[in-house]
Amino acid sequence: METTSTLEKTLRLLALTLVVIFFMFPIVWIFLMSFQTNETILRIPPQVIFEPTLSNYTALITGKLTSAAGTLDIAFMKNLGNSVFLSVTSVALALVLGVPAAYAFARHKFKGSEDIAFTLLSFRFAPPLLVLLPLTQYFQWLGLANTYIGLIWVYQLICLPLILWIVRGYFEDISADVEYAYRIAGHSWFATFRRIALPLAGPGIAAAGLLAFIFAWNNFVFALVLASADKQPVTVGALAFVTSSGIQYGQIAAAIVLSVTPTLALALYAQRYLVEGLSLGAVKG
Amino acid sequence: MYDKEKDLIGAFMRGQMGRRDLLKGIAAAGMTTAAAGTLYNMMATRALAADFDWKAHSGKSLKLLLNKHPYADAMIANLKAFKDLTGIEVTYDVFPEDVYFDKVTAALSSGSSEYDAFMTGAYMTWTYGPAGWITDLKEWINDPTKTNPNYNWGDFVEGVKNSCAWNGQPGGALGSEDAKQWCIPWAFEQNNITYNRAMFDKAGVQIPKNLDDMIAVAAKLQKDVPGIYGIGLRGSRSWATIHPGFLSGYANFNEKDLNVDADGKLSAAMNTAGSKAYHEKFVQLIQESGPKDWSTYTWYQVGTDLGAGASAMIYDADCLGYFMNGGDNKMAGELGYAAFVANPEATQSTPNIWIWSLAMSNFSKDKDATWYFLQWASGPEHALFGAVEMDFVDPVRNSIWKDEAFREKLNKKYPGYVEMFDASAAGASIKFTPQPLFFDVTTEWAATLQRMVAKQVPVDEGLDQLAESINRQLKEAGLG
Repeated sequence: METTSTLEKTLRLLALTLVVIFFMFPIVWIFLMSFQTNETILRIPPQVIFEPTLSNYTALITGKLTSAAGTLDIAFMKNLGNSVFLSVTSVALALVLGVPAAYAFARHKFKGSEDIAFTLLSFRFAPPLLVLLPLTQYFQWLGLANTYIGLIWVYQLICLPLILWIVRGYFEDISADVEYAYRIAGHSWFATFRRIALPLAGPGIAAAGLLAFIFAWNNFVFALVLASADKQPVTVGALAFVTSSGIQYGQIAAAIVLSVTPTLALALYAQRYLVEGLSLGAVKG
Repeated sequence: MYDKEKDLIGAFMRGQMGRRDLLKGIAAAGMTTAAAGTLYNMMATRALAADFDWKAHSGKSLKLLLNKHPYADAMIANLKAFKDLTGIEVTYDVFPEDVYFDKVTAALSSGSSEYDAFMTGAYMTWTYGPAGWITDLKEWINDPTKTNPNYNWGDFVEGVKNSCAWNGQPGGALGSEDAKQWCIPWAFEQNNITYNRAMFDKAGVQIPKNLDDMIAVAAKLQKDVPGIYGIGLRGSRSWATIHPGFLSGYANFNEKDLNVDADGKLSAAMNTAGSKAYHEKFVQLIQESGPKDWSTYTWYQVGTDLGAGASAMIYDADCLGYFMNGGDNKMAGELGYAAFVANPEATQSTPNIWIWSLAMSNFSKDKDATWYFLQWASGPEHALFGAVEMDFVDPVRNSIWKDEAFREKLNKKYPGYVEMFDASAAGASIKFTPQPLFFDVTTEWAATLQRMVAKQVPVDEGLDQLAESINRQLKEAGLG
């Protein structure tokens, strides 16, 4: 019995190790690549032992990329800044608009409420390219083309439906009795929303915000079509390393490491917050 | 100050002194190369201004849409000269090549007036031109009040210039009398051989003389040089797989993509006996000596493998070989170049070409000012600057190819490049039939090639199926 148990444990450990290696290998490999030159990356066969260099990170941070065609200017840090700015502001705006709307849809059933909610969700169904060309024309007429405000507005197509539908579900799961009790004590509906509903739905809002941030961060096509080169996010900027004079694998790897860092940090932070929020929830079974 | 140096540069510009003598004189005067370059640009700008009212649009501003490319870098490096010459302010957006044409298409199809001029390939103008998104430039080229007398339109390589002109009729000959000049060629790429000299020496082989020889040479290289494959070729499911070496060799056997009958109707020409024989050999070449994951190969992989020493040669863009011979590529300085004549009965190489060109947006708010930029950017002075000082290869002007300094630069760093160009430039042109279904036809052609290489379908059967499908599409589009 004990032998079987030890064997089972060993096999389980082995299986887990293989799964971790399988999933972590590309990430670790990219991390290692970010400290190598193109020459060492392209060595045949690939080698794990190499002399590390910070040149890729230096190139990204200084904006000077040395390639076969000479020294090229790259705007990766600007792209990274754009991604942070666009994602943060878009998610913030979507939270400001979406959380009260989600609460209204969850708590107040009114005529056409489902239709409105579904219409907002349908923004997620539309293929971006289908709406982008008409949007380009509208933006030009409105003077919103090539502006951060215009982009943040368009990013609501990504963020708002996500936040609205996820947070609505959380509000619906919270017992309305707690809010009624607070209202009976003489508090307004807004105070109830702010002091009772929002804290209880905190983990859900955090999860929705995180998800919306990831989707906004990964968006590629909106800024590409609607904005100039100086407002492009990191998803477009990262392609600059594929040059006519060769692919700059080292810089691509360093760019990946730098560009996943904010999302990873946010995910780790939100994970802790989610656990806290769940364990401190007022309504428990 | 600098009077003596100015005299030297002035003599050089008047053709009274060679470049070597100029450099000697500059060095003797104790002037640095950088300072001499600045002085040269300043004097070239003044010389240009002497014959033409370059200031006619002073104070205006233009915006360009550019692809991230050494050609664009060369222009940006010299842009101050244009601003000084014309007083026109120029701003630009540079986008990576992977997304560049999406950006161009979005800007043009939405009627955006944001960009006045942009970089394009000649193939793309077959869509942009008939759609009314770009302007026929003949009106400006032929107007002496708008084009400076030194522009010298006749200086452009004939096949390249003609390849950028089309009358808009499906199947219409490129460069015909009634053709519209949709874009101005800027620099171009011929598809020829770039090879690894050390690997060729090791295997004891010579540059392939024809397609049969290429099959044998590639196989021997793969066998005799450990850890490499014989020949780098593109294989992704895209028009770009057909356009480089494949079509260049195909055209050398006088084979065509489409037939055009007397009524202007189009039909597929890929299933002739000659075409089938060519396909058989090309498929054999890929199967025996191509990269293992050939069907995913774009020019990125073809170039990277050559630069990293993973392949012995490529049959692809000459400038891809040019760039792989420099920078931090492992094989930098190890590569050689040669024109390739696939057909043993042909006397000359007939490379299909990719042309990076400049086009004017039909939605530009100031077309005259835009033309000022286009004629400067495609003019002889900038072409010489780009070719000698930067990596503006292959130049589209014959005069640049005759320039001693440029030839010397190539001969020093890129052995065989000049000879390759001289041997194939006369036969260089776009070999595709211009028509609106260009991308559909070529993508399906590439997909069929993939199936043949994967042995999913025999060559003759695959080509018959391809021809049938293309004929159906042409009929549905009212072209066949």
